Order: sequence, then C-alpha cells, then structure tokens
Amino acid sequence: MARFRNRKMHVKPPVVKKQPSVDHIRGEKIPKSFVFSRGKLPCSLKQLELDLRKLMLPHTALRLKEKKRNTLKDFLNVAGPMGVTHFLILSKPKTIPHLRVARTPQGPTLTFEVHEYSLAADVARTQIRPRCPQGLFNNSPLIVLSGFGNGGQHLKLTTVIFQNIFPAIDINTVKLSSCQRIVLLNYNAETNLIDFRHYSIRLQPVGVSRRIRNFVQSHRVPDLSSLQDVSDFLAKAGYGSESEADEESATVSLATDLGRVNRASMKSAVKLQEMGPRLTLRLVKIEDGLCSGGAIFNQYDIGKSTKAEEDAMEATAEEETEAKQETDEEAEASQETDEDID
Amino acid sequence: MAAKLQSIEAAAVKGPKKRKPNHGKTGNASKKTKQYPRFEPMTKKPSKKMKKLFRKRSRDYNSDDEEEMKREVDLDPGSPGGDLGNNDDDKSMDVLKDYNESDEDAMDKASEGYQGIIKFAEGSRAFRMAFLSIMNKNLPNDPLGPVLSAHKKLVAEKLADEDAEHKVKSEAKKEKHLVAEKGHVKPAGFLDSKEKFLIGVATKGVVKLFNAVKKVQNPQKSLNPSKSKDAKALSKQRKEAFISELKKQTSTSAFRSSKVFQTKEESEPGWAPLRDSYMLTSSKLKDWDKIEDPPTVCGNDNVTFDESSSEED
Repeated sequence: MARFRNRKMHVKPPVVKKQPSVDHIRGEKIPKSFVFSRGKLPCSLKQLELDLRKLMLPHTALRLKEKKRNTLKDFLNVAGPMGVTHFLILSKPKTIPHLRVARTPQGPTLTFEVHEYSLAADVARTQIRPRCPQGLFNNSPLIVLSGFGNGGQHLKLTTVIFQNIFPAIDINTVKLSSCQRIVLLNYNAETNLIDFRHYSIRLQPVGVSRRIRNFVQSHRVPDLSSLQDVSDFLAKAGYGSESEADEESATVSLATDLGRVNRASMKSAVKLQEMGPRLTLRLVKIEDGLCSGGAIFNQYDIGKSTKAEEDAMEATAEEETEAKQETDEEAEASQETDEDID
Repeated sequence: MAAKLQSIEAAAVKGPKKRKPNHGKTGNASKKTKQYPRFEPMTKKPSKKMKKLFRKRSRDYNSDDEEEMKREVDLDPGSPGGDLGNNDDDKSMDVLKDYNESDEDAMDKASEGYQGIIKFAEGSRAFRMAFLSIMNKNLPNDPLGPVLSAHKKLVAEKLADEDAEHKVKSEAKKEKHLVAEKGHVKPAGFLDSKEKFLIGVATKGVVKLFNAVKKVQNPQKSLNPSKSKDAKALSKQRKEAFISELKKQTSTSAFRSSKVFQTKEESEPGWAPLRDSYMLTSSKLKDWDKIEDPPTVCGNDNVTFDESSSEED
C-alpha cells in the first residue's frame, strides 16, 4: 500500500519565474519577442527558428508551442497580456525563406528574404572549440548596426526597429559581465544585403602568456613534465598570441574587474567568436500594419515609389523615434556610434 | 500384448517422423492414436468402443496415406526416398517453392512409409540427378536466375518498372530536399576576409561601448581626491561637467524633434521619474493635466518647472 502511496506523490508545478515587463531602474518597457513560423518549415529552417529563439533570449519564449491551426491573431492575443513587443516570423514559400520582423500590435512589419543562412550547429562545427560558457544566454545581446547611416528612409526604419528589439543599455548602470553576446547587422550598400551575425564576447588580458592565463583561470595544476625548471613555465612564451597586431585596436581598459583574469588595471583584448546563426538578409518590403496594411516600401518597385509613400515612411520613422523616446532609452553607445565607424 | 507390441513397432517405425518438424494434421492424429495405448496402465484395457474407434482411425489413416501416395504417383514420376536423398529432399523443398503444401505433406508421408521408399527409390534418383544437373549448371550472371521464359519476361518488366519508379521517387525526393535546403550554406572552416571584416566591425562596437562605460562609471579613478592637486583638478572637472551639461540640455531640447538618432546625456539620473524628459515623453503623463481639468495648470509651465528642478539637482 505504501508503495502506491509513494507513487501518488504530488507533483510540484514548475516554478514560473515571472519576468518583469518593466526595467526596475529605468522604468522602461523591456521588449520581448516571439519567434514562430507561418506554414510548414523544412527541417533546417525549424532549426534556424530554434537558433533565433536562443539568440533572442532571455526575453523570449524559448519553448513556444505552435500548432498548425494557430493564426497570427492567436499569437497577437497572447502577446498583449505577456507584454510581447516583437514578432519574428519565419516562413518558407516555394521560392526562398522569408523572415518578417514585426512590432506588435500595430506594426510596422519588415519583410526580409533570407538569401543564405547557416545554423548555429553549422558554425560550431567549423570551430575547433565552440564556446558556450555558463550564463551566456542570461543577458540579452548588444546590437551593432553598421552601414545603415546614409541610406533611405527604409533603412532608418530598419535600424530603429532592430535597436528596439533588445532592451536598451544604460551605460551608467550596465555591468560589463552582462555583455556576453553581440548581434551585428551590417548593411552592404552595393549588394543591398544585410549580414546578420551573432558573436560571443570574450575578454583576455593583454601581454600574459597563454599558459599563465589558463593557469589562473582554471586553477589546475599545469603539466611541467617537459620543462627543465619552473622558471621556464613563466619565461617561455607558448606559441604566442595569434593576432598580436590586431589587438591594438581591440584592447579595452575595463571599468571594473571582470572574472579572475581581467583586471580593471590591466588592458584586455576583446575577442569575438561566432556563435551563429548566420543570416544574409535582403529587405524586400515594409508594411504599415502587422503583416498587413499598405506597403510603405517595396524593393521590387523602388523606381515607382511615389511621394506619398515616402511621406508615409517618414511619418512612421518619426513615430518610431518618438516611441523610442517614450521608452526613455539611454544612450546605446555601441549602436549610435557605429554610424561613424564606416 | 500383441497390440502393445504393435504399438511399439509402430513407434519404432515412426521414430524418424517424430523428429521432423512439419506434420500434417493427419500425422498428428495418428500419433495420438498410436501412442495412446503405450501410456495406458497395464490393468486397464481399452473398451470395445474405444477399440472400434481406434481401428476406424487407423483405417482412415492408412487409406488416406494410400490415397495420397496415389496422387503423388499421378503428379510426379519421382518422389524422394527416405534413406536415399534426405538432403536432396530438403534442397528440393527449398528451391521448388511452386509445390503446394499438400504435395509436400505427401512427400513427407512417402518418406515415412516403407512402401513409399521401395516404390519410388528409382524415381527419386532420377529426380536427384535432374536436380543436381540443374544446380551444377553454369548460369550467366542473370539476377533473375533460371526461370521459365515467359515468367522471366514478366519479372524483367516488373523489375524495370520498379527501378524507374524508384528513380523518379528518389529524384523527386532530392528535388524536394534541394528546395527545402535552399539558402542553407555550410560555412567554411576558415575566416574569409568578409567574416574578418564583420568581426572587426563588431569588435569596434564592443570596444566603443566598453570605453564609454569606463568613462562614465569611474571617471575619477586615476585621481586621488586626498591630494591637493588632484582635488583641484577634480573640482574643476566637476564644474566643467556641470556647465557642459547645462549647455547640452538646452541644446538637445531645441533639436530633439529633428534629429533621428540622438545621443543622450551620459549622466542623467538613473531613476526615470527624475529625468527631465520623463513628463515630456511618457505618453501616459504627457497630457495628464489636459485630460480631466484643463483650466487649472498650463502644461508648459509645469514642464519648465520640472526641467529647472532637475538641473539644479
């Protein structure tokens, strides 16, 4: 009898950590996102969907269940109470996969063609040591937009939407340890393609040999069997740093200590390692509403674009910026300054 | 006693048969009937009724056997003998699958009975020779094997059809896969110039952010306020910063609407309501006074007051 009673044990409901919808310091709404698909996706695109969800962490539904009969309205209905502000919608028509990035509930919607894509697994497969430290996905990534500066209105709108897709960084309060990932969107004006990359950020002290760094980092007894003297361990540089020349531009002096190795007093090198997914996008269309409404911008009749459309675009861009100001965003140094980079 | 002896004899005869796995129903029945008296206790004799039944059954069995043997003779000139070609028998069973089951049963029975052995020994040898000659034939490397020619044609056609079908199917599958995988690119193992450039761009962004953070979060780290010289510098810095901030705020408020990307002041208060732009920008609070009782306070006055207060802080 006792055995049965044991089996009947009460199952604890999973603890749902309620994410705050508003940043407690800045009183600003945290953007949240849903990544889902419309229509049936082939296997690799499904994987891409999962990768995108992971990229959008932590303010996204990682295990969003979607059914065939779910309509866009269903997602929209859920999005309201959950405070979801962005939809990333993957679809696969006969020709080429599409990615739509939409603001809820009213739009606008950006439609991209996905010209090329590589999954996170593909990227990891090319690397000798794919990197995934603990807590990598605990904070939302930084976003860098580059090359969008001197384009048309549609590019401006794109930048605004992508800047708002992740919570803004307040450089007064930000912790450097929370900056672990970076998403890069690079616009190539010649080909009209946007390169979408996802990197993990790693900091290394400059001028310290790898052996010592590893020793300090891992606290493991090093293998001294090949050495004559302990001094060799310190004096002998290993194979040397691979990219000593590049490091000049990529060195930072930190505001605070970061981890065991990176001290505020020392210079640290910023190293990026790609994590994937990797996308090559082409902006095709901007719609006024959420996957509906008039087309503000259309790649295919760019010559025919009327003045009215341009006005509409300007108006939306204005609205967007106002919305941005409404959320009382702090300076995102990385975002705004990259206009100057090129 | 005689009956018992008979049963023992029968058992001896049926010995090999018992070991064979495949039996017809009649065989099983006969086994039952024959073995039954063996396990009978000595004292008890079978009753008359039972005896009659047994006799009838045995008769039935025998007649059946004979009948089948006759049929065998009609159908096939040769049937395998028990002692001659047991192996051949098995082989033939494997290969010639066109035989129906009844024939197989009959062959089994033929191998059991003495009569069958004697009668068909010659025939079975002929069959064996024929079979061996077939088996020893050197065949052209034909996947179809030695089959009747009409059937051969049919089989060839069928195989060709299947092949074509398979080809079409696989092609369709491949095409589908290609469509599904369109755009999917496996990245190269090395970093090409484009990827390096992209990493460079991203790195620049990170460096800029980190530098900005450092500038804001501990600007006075290098200066020690206890030293008189540093203290002076610090106070100067503070004053400068304050004045510049004053100027900045007035200027930014002037062209806030025109500029799309606007750099924000780095040292605004952390809590949102303390900021000067809080009332201006937050949609809920923007027209708070106009909603309910418009005549009391003018919105502009309120804003200016707010701004000045924050500046004094």
